[in-house]
Amino acid sequence: MRALTFLPEVIVVAGAAIVLLNARFRPAFHRRMRTRLPWFVAAILLVALGVELWAGATVGSYYNGGLVQDRFALFAKASALLATAIAVAAADWPVEDSLSFSLAMPMLAAFGVMVTASAGDFIGVWAGIEVTAAAGLAMLALRRPDQAMRLLLAGGAAGALLLGGLAYVYATAGTADLLEMRRMLTGVAPTLPLTIPVALAFGSIAFRASLSPLQVSGGAFAPPASPLSTSLVTGLSAAAALVAAVKITAALGPVGPVFGTFLEVVAVVTMIGGGAAALAVRAPRARIGFLAAAQSGWVLAGLSTHYHAGTGSAVFLLGALTIAATAGPAVMGALGASEATMAGLGTLRPHRAVALSLCLLSLAGAPPLAGFFGEFAVASALAGAGRFELLAAGLLGGILSVTAAVGTIRLLYLYNPIEESRRAGIVLPVWSRFSAGAAVLLAVVIPAYSLFANPILGLAFQSAEGLGLR
Amino acid sequence: MIAAALHGFSAATPSPAPIPGAGLFTASYLLSICIWIPAVVALVIAVIPNPRGRYDTVIRQVAFFTNLLLMFVMFIAYNQFESFLPNVQYEEKIPWLPQIGAIYHLGVDGPSMVLLILSGLIGIIAVLASAGVRERVRSYFALLLLAQTCVTGAVASHDLFVLTLFWAAAIIPIALLILGWGGPRREAAAWRLTGYWGVGVAALLLAVMAIYAGSGGTSFDMDVALKSALAPRTQVIVALALIVAAATRLPLFPFHGWVRDVYAEAPIGVIVLIAGSATRLGAYVLMRVLVAAEPDGARVLSPLIAGIAVVTVIYAAVAAMRTADIRHAGGYLALVPGAITVFGLAALTPLGIAGAVLSLFTGGMAAALIAGAFHTVSDRAQTRAVAVLSGLAPRMPKLAWLTVLAALGVLGVPLMATFTSNEMTFFGAFKTQPVGAFGIALGLALVAISLAVLLQRVMFGRPNPDAPAVSDTSLSETWYLALLAGALLWVGIVPGGPKIPGTDVPLFDPGIMNVMVADIPEIAAPYTGTTTP
Repeated sequence: MRALTFLPEVIVVAGAAIVLLNARFRPAFHRRMRTRLPWFVAAILLVALGVELWAGATVGSYYNGGLVQDRFALFAKASALLATAIAVAAADWPVEDSLSFSLAMPMLAAFGVMVTASAGDFIGVWAGIEVTAAAGLAMLALRRPDQAMRLLLAGGAAGALLLGGLAYVYATAGTADLLEMRRMLTGVAPTLPLTIPVALAFGSIAFRASLSPLQVSGGAFAPPASPLSTSLVTGLSAAAALVAAVKITAALGPVGPVFGTFLEVVAVVTMIGGGAAALAVRAPRARIGFLAAAQSGWVLAGLSTHYHAGTGSAVFLLGALTIAATAGPAVMGALGASEATMAGLGTLRPHRAVALSLCLLSLAGAPPLAGFFGEFAVASALAGAGRFELLAAGLLGGILSVTAAVGTIRLLYLYNPIEESRRAGIVLPVWSRFSAGAAVLLAVVIPAYSLFANPILGLAFQSAEGLGLR
Repeated sequence: MIAAALHGFSAATPSPAPIPGAGLFTASYLLSICIWIPAVVALVIAVIPNPRGRYDTVIRQVAFFTNLLLMFVMFIAYNQFESFLPNVQYEEKIPWLPQIGAIYHLGVDGPSMVLLILSGLIGIIAVLASAGVRERVRSYFALLLLAQTCVTGAVASHDLFVLTLFWAAAIIPIALLILGWGGPRREAAAWRLTGYWGVGVAALLLAVMAIYAGSGGTSFDMDVALKSALAPRTQVIVALALIVAAATRLPLFPFHGWVRDVYAEAPIGVIVLIAGSATRLGAYVLMRVLVAAEPDGARVLSPLIAGIAVVTVIYAAVAAMRTADIRHAGGYLALVPGAITVFGLAALTPLGIAGAVLSLFTGGMAAALIAGAFHTVSDRAQTRAVAVLSGLAPRMPKLAWLTVLAALGVLGVPLMATFTSNEMTFFGAFKTQPVGAFGIALGLALVAISLAVLLQRVMFGRPNPDAPAVSDTSLSETWYLALLAGALLWVGIVPGGPKIPGTDVPLFDPGIMNVMVADIPEIAAPYTGTTTP
């Protein structure tokens, strides 16, 4: 069983390689299989998920501590695989640019999240984030090279800052091993020289999570970007960054004051700013991106409590966020470009409309969906830690987010569909049994996440304990 | 009757009375059935195909008979409720999120049983009032049933997590109902409702979290979280948050900003649901969490609560007198019963609290009746302008009668159930809030003037020859208004329920007054210095 622990990663990378190589060296076969490739990729991801759930329960350390398999890794990897499988299956493939590329990059992005989740040291964390971000950028570059270039430059700078910050921490602690670091940092004074590089590292993580500054990566939400590239940027890239944040905050727990205030400020800005931005924008795809950003703020707020209830709740919420933020834009298809084109989707594409509504409501934290359960759990942890100012900020952001989500849902169900001639060239998402099934699966997964909140939250709490938090 | 009530609540010692048929029907998950059946039916309605509205009538019937079935189940629960027991009944306890101490804990005591019956009745009446809905019938009734699920869930919850969940969830279906089927200014109405109720949800969550943290951060179960003594300062903070939550939902001045637009623009069935049961949750939370569990906070802030109630009644009367739109007038007047309920709670005496509990039921009926009647008048007269409406009574006699009954219901005249609840509230509050009692009396006098002026102008004045054509109520409108008026009269005439002649055995209705007493002595115990076993 131990040998199978990292089989899911192997399956995912091999799947991505097969898809890319098949398109390059067997174009005729690739064309013939064109309609079935998304099935194939979704099946690969689901097989990887199955193996992860079966073999991933074996806790252990590999490659001299370079990779670890703990409850947190199991949780984060399973969330990423499920989210990617649904996104690939539900995507509106006719509007994606390159089938092979658009199938391989989500798998690589999911692989990046898995690497980050299994990382035993700083190098693994950094590498995982960069792999996910690179996959997202590559997807974005297919249609928005200008935006991708800007993100590449900004992301490169962020990556360098992250690496620099982590290197300084390594020099201070004398180890890059995340579990060992807690022990080494115990008793170390939280000084200003340590605060600055840690703040830089968290700043770059916040950038990768599309948190701050929101407007830099906001271009990925804009209409010209393909829906699946938005999924990667708002969903998987953010998930990788937040997974890194969970691991690093756990490792740096003994010197919590060096990042606590910074994390709280980012959380407040993101919760309120994300909700306000979601309310201000009109395009549904941008709205879902900002809603995801606002919910990321709740995750950071949970992490700022520095104890296992807060981190466990944040991990639970992270799972819900990953699924909704990754699959939501994919389900939306090209219609997310403008508000008017979404009108009447509930009549025209009922499966997609239901799934999208649930994603929006979950990201907004509306009851009784997964996001609400996660945010409530984080709120209880914040209350337990006496952080009522963070709680108040989150609640304000929550009101804004729910209002924004209801604004889009009313379009789906309460407006009549607009005529084809007024769609400005934007076609309805494709309808097939496969895509409809994926949308239904998403519509089942989000309520099921709250229905089975007890075991999932239990696993999330075990995750936090696995990271060394008590 | 009032004397009996006064005696009963000064030393409430209810005793078991044999009810024919009691114990015939038992169900382990009775409350869950009441909560989740509408949700399941809503889901079914939402997914069944309805090409070109072919099954619109069937959908209406399904919604109606679902509510009828629910009312039947609730009536059984009401009949078999053991009013001599002070503890929670029909309890269901399933661990939900043990990591944070949240339990799927349902249960009802006397006050919640009263609200549960109110919710069931309002469910039927809201469906009847929605008979005129012609567009997207499937979505409408699915959302209406979901909204009902939220209200019933909040009433039956005995865990602060479950309460918050249902309380917050009610916003979405109601906002969508207004957005989809409202009048010309529906967007403004829906966003105002979302904004105000959203603030209320945030305030409630803050209060719940403060209680949770103050009680050791182990459980949201009301039996644990509300039984631990918080520091007085924390109680005051919790009380302030709860007052904001209640004031946005009920609503009370100055958090009433959504009332005018919502009661004017929402479809009539939604108005009935909001005014009748959804808004009563505000006062219910105030009673359940603040008055029953945070006595220090309640004592400190009771003058503030009484003051808000007084200002709300006076404001409602003056605003209704000055408005030029009859639907706005109905919305303002619907504020009055809620303010009286809250005033009863501010009294912090057993009689005042009992009056407030009865007022939850009677106030819900009266608010729904006045808002619904004025809305229907404007529909049938084809105008909302008070200046145009005149001398309608001869041309719409049924509606005129029902509107007069609505006005009497708001005022609380004898034979109306609001009379009993108002009197109990006043008598209960006179000792502890004398200035407030005079203020409320003054406010009610203004309400009477306002109603008299409105009725004289709209119903009994000289007919306006330039006004649009007028028609009387349709069958469904007559039924929904008559049911509301009938419930007010029934409880007003036999608050203790009808008895088999010559005996003390209840006939089929044990009586709201008898059912609601369970747990009231316990709620009032901190203010009387007594402890209950």
